[in-house]
Amino acid sequence: MEILTSLILIFVGAALINNFVLHYFVGICPFLGVSRRVDTAFGMGCAVTFVISISALLNWTVTYFVLRPGAPLPAWVWRSVGGDPGTQVDLSVLSYIIYIFVIASSVQFVEMYVRKFFPPLYRSFGVFLPLITTNCAILFGSLEILKHLQDPTRLWGLHQALALALGGGIGFTLAISLMAGIREELDMCDVPGPLKGAGVALIVAGIMAMAFMGFVGVDKGVQSAVSALLR
Amino acid sequence: MLSTVALILAAGVLAVLAVGMGFVLGWANRAFHVRTDPKVEQILAALPGANCGGCGFVGCAEYAAAVATGEADVSLCGPGGAGAAQGLAGIMGVELEESLPYRAMVHCSAHTDERLQRAEYRGEPTCASANLVAGVQGCTYGCLGMGDCERSCKYGAIRVVDGLSTVDYTKCVGCKACERTCPRNIITIVPFKAENMLVVACSNQDSAGDVRAVCAVGCLGCRACTKVAPDLISIEGALPVINYDNYDPTDDLIAKVLEKCPRKRLFFVGKPTEADLAAVAGEELPDEIQADFKTTVDETEWRG
Amino acid sequence: MAQEEPTALERFINGILPENPVYRQLLGMCPTLAVTNGMKPAMTMVAATAFVLICANVMTSAIRGLLKPHLRILVFTMTIAAFVTIADRLLAAYMYDMSKQLGPYVPLIIVNCIIIARCEVCASKQSVRVAFGDAVGQSIGFGLGLATIATVREILGSGTWLGLHVLPASWPGWGIMVLPPGAFLTLGLLLGIAEWLSRRRGRAST
Repeated sequence: MEILTSLILIFVGAALINNFVLHYFVGICPFLGVSRRVDTAFGMGCAVTFVISISALLNWTVTYFVLRPGAPLPAWVWRSVGGDPGTQVDLSVLSYIIYIFVIASSVQFVEMYVRKFFPPLYRSFGVFLPLITTNCAILFGSLEILKHLQDPTRLWGLHQALALALGGGIGFTLAISLMAGIREELDMCDVPGPLKGAGVALIVAGIMAMAFMGFVGVDKGVQSAVSALLR
Repeated sequence: MLSTVALILAAGVLAVLAVGMGFVLGWANRAFHVRTDPKVEQILAALPGANCGGCGFVGCAEYAAAVATGEADVSLCGPGGAGAAQGLAGIMGVELEESLPYRAMVHCSAHTDERLQRAEYRGEPTCASANLVAGVQGCTYGCLGMGDCERSCKYGAIRVVDGLSTVDYTKCVGCKACERTCPRNIITIVPFKAENMLVVACSNQDSAGDVRAVCAVGCLGCRACTKVAPDLISIEGALPVINYDNYDPTDDLIAKVLEKCPRKRLFFVGKPTEADLAAVAGEELPDEIQADFKTTVDETEWRG
Repeated sequence: MAQEEPTALERFINGILPENPVYRQLLGMCPTLAVTNGMKPAMTMVAATAFVLICANVMTSAIRGLLKPHLRILVFTMTIAAFVTIADRLLAAYMYDMSKQLGPYVPLIIVNCIIIARCEVCASKQSVRVAFGDAVGQSIGFGLGLATIATVREILGSGTWLGLHVLPASWPGWGIMVLPPGAFLTLGLLLGIAEWLSRRRGRAST
């Protein structure tokens, strides 16, 4: 049951408390660029959630088995060439290169798959997929997972990695949809000339970030609520 | 030895990943190949790409797909005009019937001072909003002059000049944006069989006394025009309507109709002819005539 | 109409104000907002980005003859990732505290739109010298952008600048400025000011 509590905490943390866009500043470019209309914004959010989950899955696998200090594959290779079992082979310097490579390739693969088998889905958010490859949010998700795979005594399993990825993606979707709704209304307002476009959008984002700061401390409440429920 | 092993392992991992993903993507490229009709690409290239929606499809890509499957006619593109129609006909291998340029016509000719019973309107300066309020001007059929059409036009072809929306026929491409926007539906898009076409420049369906009360220049519904040319002009309500299918630019009747109209609400619109340009050649004309249309809302001081 | 390709010097000067990556092109927003809560982290980030940008531009320009069109973004990204790894390790080795403070934003230089955009627009098409000039100009522009935001946020937020106290101790310190909302608000307002200035300059010249 601790696992469930920790999953819910990770999910809520990534979605609300440490929202990827409003707290960690990742994914700002699509946040400002694609948030003009609610339907395109929501499509972009769904695409980001989808890609971030897939890349979290793949990157967690590669990191767990190959890249982290004390990973099984390098240890096995080291032992078979007769190396001293006391020293660890640490390939984590390759992390960034491998992550971005995996993200780019998986996005390419997913785009082809969706285009072939789900044409209506492709029409609604397929065009965003190539844009997402260089989206900070995707790489950031993988980097957060990497952070939790460093300490051999408290390794994150695949379920926790996926909870973080899903939470981050859904938090991004929430933020971008809210922003799109507000910007649709702002279109009819009298915004001063120099601030039109990105200026007022950023100011609105600042106010949204302030609002989301109100979620700090929610994790304690969630924790006690969930443990009370599960007892 | 640790560093050598680490180096070889690193290179090995990268190589395996690269080759592996290369194979997977190569396979996927073939397995998930979506056969697109090469015609669609060609058609898309022949279209202007304005995504105006005038053809009735959501964007140029949709129209290209419809043309490629034979669903849509090749001559629906307004901005593309004859050039695009010919290009599309060539790609699809069809005969091109004579296609005419579509242009906008405004069925109102009353400038601000000619509109009677105007009230001081303090609402949102858009035609759509003013249309909902009673009493903005006496005529409930005609142009409101707030510029919704001007804002909707991507080509700068329709402007509000002295309170009346006026089409610049050198720029109009017939994309139908203004026709869709006008809340009073007084703009129609018509195939131009000649450079200058006859238009009924009024939309008021009331007759004589009622029209005179609200407009200094509106059509009185006297039906003189339809008596002269019954095949060309029919009457709806008390308003003449020109049947543009029967319209023949070389017909002499048209000039007669022009003469007969007591209020001169039937006249020619279109690109300025040589004669017109020569007539104003000597005058100093301003480059742009901007309508200074400020409502009282612009000068309101906020007291909130 | 064949136009003269911009020279190295032109690209260098362009990058500072006319095509400033932060205020004119609106690229690289993520680090702009994240690390500008103080001048020191901001300048460290600028140095790291400059290093990666210059190296990546030069390398891309050197191999531009070998790039296949549909693979070029991937090649840019791999090159940038390699240089970012170098920068990150150097930072962790010689400036450990700063590296911890910057955290995940150093690896996020890989997906910094500025670098990929410059590789795409300039380095993949022009010679090494021009690419170098462009990279240096854009880095200075980026540094200028970050410095303005960091100055505002640090002075208003903690009363210090580069760690030195510039405001009297009685200054309460607007905590919001060093938190995420302050970043958004500062950037939004500064963008508005930059736009207003450029409009005024535009009107004055016509």
